[in-house]
Amino acid sequence: MTETRLFGSEAEAREFLDGFRHYENPPSVAPLKGDAAHEVAVGPVHAGVIEPGHFRFQCMGEDVYNLQIFLGYQHRGVEGKIVAADGNAALQLALAETCAGDTSIAAATCISEILESRDGSAPGAGAKAVRTVLLELERIANHVGDLGALAGDVAFLPTASFCGRIRGDYLNMTALVCGNRFGRGAIVPGGARVTLDAPRREELAKRIAAAKKDLDGALKLMFEEPTVLERLQGTGVVPREVAEQIGLVGVARRASVELNGDVLSRAQVRRTEIEEAHARIAAVLSGGASRGAAEAKTSGKGDFQVVVATAEAWRGPLVHAAMFGADGKMSAYRIVDPSARNWPGLAWALRGEQISNFPICNKSFNLSYCGTDR
Amino acid sequence: MLKALIARLKQGFRTGKFPPAAPNLPPDFRGRPQIDDDISPDEFARAQSVCPVKQALFCDFEGAKLDMGRCIFCGRCAEVCDKIRFTKEYRLGVFSRTDLLVKAGDLDYVPPRQTNPAALALRHSLSLREVSAGGCAACELDANVLGTLAWDMGRFGIRFVASPRHADAIYLTGPVSKGMQLGLDKTYAAAPEPKFLVAAGACAISGGLYDHGNLPATPALFIPGCPPHPATTLEALLRFTGRM
Repeated sequence: MTETRLFGSEAEAREFLDGFRHYENPPSVAPLKGDAAHEVAVGPVHAGVIEPGHFRFQCMGEDVYNLQIFLGYQHRGVEGKIVAADGNAALQLALAETCAGDTSIAAATCISEILESRDGSAPGAGAKAVRTVLLELERIANHVGDLGALAGDVAFLPTASFCGRIRGDYLNMTALVCGNRFGRGAIVPGGARVTLDAPRREELAKRIAAAKKDLDGALKLMFEEPTVLERLQGTGVVPREVAEQIGLVGVARRASVELNGDVLSRAQVRRTEIEEAHARIAAVLSGGASRGAAEAKTSGKGDFQVVVATAEAWRGPLVHAAMFGADGKMSAYRIVDPSARNWPGLAWALRGEQISNFPICNKSFNLSYCGTDR
Repeated sequence: MLKALIARLKQGFRTGKFPPAAPNLPPDFRGRPQIDDDISPDEFARAQSVCPVKQALFCDFEGAKLDMGRCIFCGRCAEVCDKIRFTKEYRLGVFSRTDLLVKAGDLDYVPPRQTNPAALALRHSLSLREVSAGGCAACELDANVLGTLAWDMGRFGIRFVASPRHADAIYLTGPVSKGMQLGLDKTYAAAPEPKFLVAAGACAISGGLYDHGNLPATPALFIPGCPPHPATTLEALLRFTGRM
């Protein structure tokens, strides 16, 4: 276990946060000096089937002294296109959904809340239930996939294989509700395009029960395996103070505040959230009222209005904000993916670690490039 | 060790029966669309007015057409016009861009067969190098799924490789953002000849909802969808190499 590492001064914190730049505008860094100093550059095209980003590991021997992260490769102007599509809600929804594909449902909920606040419509009880169930299925599918990938990265193949398949089961449940594995097109302003009728509820409950049983077995196996625990424990620590200083959110913050902030803590938080999500789905399916998946707040009136909507997406809070001018037209749109807040956490977690620990540190965060780059 | 074996027994053998059995598609699956021959200009205009994608639905001298290369399969047009419907046909992969156009009255569909000997030579071994270029990562996620034991594309000799030097084809996803143009061009150039470009998803084929960058070559395989269903992708790759 490494000793607690904090920022010595504000200048040090600034220098650290300055390491996160657009690829066209890299910071000037003084090269490390010494026999063991070297730099490893990775990306933007990575070795796996993953999104592009550029990483610079500044190393002393095997240990990472500092990690710089350059993003922006995925920028395609989602926000500008949403503003330009003002009045065409179907296109705006599709754009929001494709900001980050794994967070489609949370994004659709947020933009729907914003558009609803403008025309005064509100989702009914049935639509709220659909939104809650889909959002929680999205959370479970992603957490299951990441836990499986984490198991794969420490070469614990049983859980890696089981979870890879079980994640698909949850995506197929989303498809059962709306026809698309990522929940595309299911949520619209004022409600939802699909309903959770009795046969669907029954089928969903049946499938969840079966998948949950398999999932419990797969996770128990991993979390009781000493070789896995030994590998995850004390790796990639982000202490609570640092998590608060650099403003981490969601899974990463919970892991640092409630637990030890290491890779194992982030895995445990995901396991806990899987349980919580199942409980929320069960409550909805058994006929309980849903409080809705997102919340919108409006400020200003008359000629100028700002609407902010948040949803607790699987990585953490997803924030959408829209500005409307005097003519009633949308003048600006901004999306803040929880990933945008958590990239510095990944860089911090790697400080002082062996470079070979990058995959499991990275997987424990699993941040979105496209959600950050927009 | 014992615990892992017991868990393995409990989980059972879970690789899907597809192929050769039909894939297990969701009840509301939206596959290849159909447009009836007798669609009236009014009906077509109504469908077009709710379509979120520019030029996915259009009319030319041959009549009404739906471009699967742009379509995000949201199904809105079929909701307002009963002359358009989305069938359960998941075999959407084609070898030329014009084959992605669904014409009015085009009701009988037979997926095209591969005739290119260079592609047929990859029948037992196909190595793909994925390039993610400005998309939303849904296409990447559903391509990754093919490697899980539920689909296990490795049993057909298909795999994603780490280096373009080892690749038979570049598997492109995303609309090719400005930032990824150079990365894509260099990766494509680094693959040895003969090589193919596979465009997966509406973004890679046409830019989808976004601005389309430059493709380094004409794709040899188009897999439409937003994102394509894993069954669509696997079937397309198998047919591309002459195994279906």
